[in-house]
Amino acid sequence: MTSTSSKPGGPAVHIENLDKYYGTFHALRKVSLSVERSERIVVCGPSGSGKSTMIRCINRLEQHNGGKITVLGTELNDDVANIDGIRREVGMVFQHFNLFPHMTVLENLTIAPVIVRKVARAEAEATARRYLEKVRIPEQAMKFPGQLSGGQQQRVAIARALCMQPQIMLFDEPTSALDPEMISEVLDVMVTLASEGMTMICVTHEMGFARRVADRVIFMDGGEIVEEAPPEEFFTASRNERTRQFLSQVLGH
Amino acid sequence: MEMVVVAPPAPGKLEDLKRRFFATPLQALLSLISLAIMVFLAWKLLNWAIFSAVFTASGGPEACEAAAGACWSVIAARWRIILFGLYPFEEQWRSALACVSVVVMTVLSCIPAFWTGRRIALVWGTGTALYYLLMKGGVLGLPYVGEEAWGGLALTLFIFVTTCLIGFPLAICLALMRRSELPWISRTTGIIIDGVRSLPLISILFTFAIVLPFALPQWLVGDKLYRVILGSALFFSAYQAEIVRGGMQGVSAGQEEAAMALGMSYWQRIGRILLPQAMRNALPATINQFVISFKETSLVVIVGFFEILASGNAAYGTGEWRFAYVEVYAFIAFIYFVFVFSLSRYGAFLERRMAVGER
Repeated sequence: MTSTSSKPGGPAVHIENLDKYYGTFHALRKVSLSVERSERIVVCGPSGSGKSTMIRCINRLEQHNGGKITVLGTELNDDVANIDGIRREVGMVFQHFNLFPHMTVLENLTIAPVIVRKVARAEAEATARRYLEKVRIPEQAMKFPGQLSGGQQQRVAIARALCMQPQIMLFDEPTSALDPEMISEVLDVMVTLASEGMTMICVTHEMGFARRVADRVIFMDGGEIVEEAPPEEFFTASRNERTRQFLSQVLGH
Repeated sequence: MEMVVVAPPAPGKLEDLKRRFFATPLQALLSLISLAIMVFLAWKLLNWAIFSAVFTASGGPEACEAAAGACWSVIAARWRIILFGLYPFEEQWRSALACVSVVVMTVLSCIPAFWTGRRIALVWGTGTALYYLLMKGGVLGLPYVGEEAWGGLALTLFIFVTTCLIGFPLAICLALMRRSELPWISRTTGIIIDGVRSLPLISILFTFAIVLPFALPQWLVGDKLYRVILGSALFFSAYQAEIVRGGMQGVSAGQEEAAMALGMSYWQRIGRILLPQAMRNALPATINQFVISFKETSLVVIVGFFEILASGNAAYGTGEWRFAYVEVYAFIAFIYFVFVFSLSRYGAFLERRMAVGER
């Protein structure tokens, strides 16, 4: 099932006319988006605008009802092998970390490489320790998630996703559940990751982060992509009324 | 300025007793009266159970009638019936070894070092095979003893252990099926679980022991004992399934999503992420269910099996020991206590162990 490694030249993620309903609620309305390899995208918008739903469709935590999603050259459909293949290549970081509380930090980092990628345990542990170093908490390897602070847990979660050696990283509001003093330690890790050329799609309200690393900022409202622009243009010269209103609420104090 | 904060000195044991029980004259009076009653009762009990009791069987029932205390000689004379029921006298060593093998199997499978698929399968396989071989015989020069002659503690342990061994995996399957996304699976499972739970155990045992043979083809009927065990396993699994499901509901949806996002398959998510956490949540209720099931094994009397309680009845019911029923029941109660109390202590140990990393 190495179908995902095909087409090295195509876009990392290609979304076309995506529709998603929850019952009768129309959560995504004909959303189209293409993300190149090594591109960093920041998605923002008011709550309920569909931004989380959109990135959760990319690794099929949500099933779309219409349109087409192609990830690394493989189209997402009901084929379970395709889905599993794509999930191996797409890492995800959640708002509430979702670390496995019954495992140590090291076990959290090694379980998927060992049982999904069939990497030898010793090798998986070496990789895990390298990534813990990278997110600057090598000394916490033998602790349980419940013994760490929120910021540390989120950094472990990022390391856990990276241990699968993904080609794309999805961030679903990674700093929204953190105390303010812990936000920067997580953002620092994300900035480092971006500087190394990782393809990233981040749903976040951290506009400073967007300004610093994003190639493109996407603004969603009411299940639609309202605006799509490079950060300087997005923050200074937005023509759209809804975008300007949102920005004034996020930045205006 | 540094502030030195000193905690008030903890009151001594004696101070504490005084404060709790002798704070006012009335309280002191009530405390003394209660104490006197307790001492009196304890004295009576000890006197009956130990000081005035007869322990050896040599004097026969007559020696007991002269004594004021308990007649433990009934146990000394009849313990074999209580432990082994109607099992042939000369072969009872086999029954004893079978008990030991079941107990060893249970103890081993309680040790965390044995919690890998292969080891636990090995322990259970050997344990039950050994039990079956020893009890039934017919090979290796052991005379054949049919299931109808099995009895006493050996039978109680066997019914309990096999009920759990069959019922527990079944419970997990039922719990997983009940949360299936396919409505026809989850609804059917729900109906089965609720159906079984709304029937009394006795009626299920009756159905499996007596009604089922009429409904099944001859080759499928099997021995009554195994039908009864299946019935009791089904009953156990219906309750345990709901306990497991409750444990699963305590695991946040984010756990499965994270496992999915890492590319884990359904069975990997269930086995590595969902069940370990669900079982931790379900542990207290699970131990409770085990304890209940152990005691419910006594219901098989109704379909004609001589488990430990029925064997106890037989032990004093033969005329000469008829007066000594209190002692027999006390002895059986003690055996139940040993098993059930160990079970709940083990539950407490597991809870402490699993609390690591909780917080």
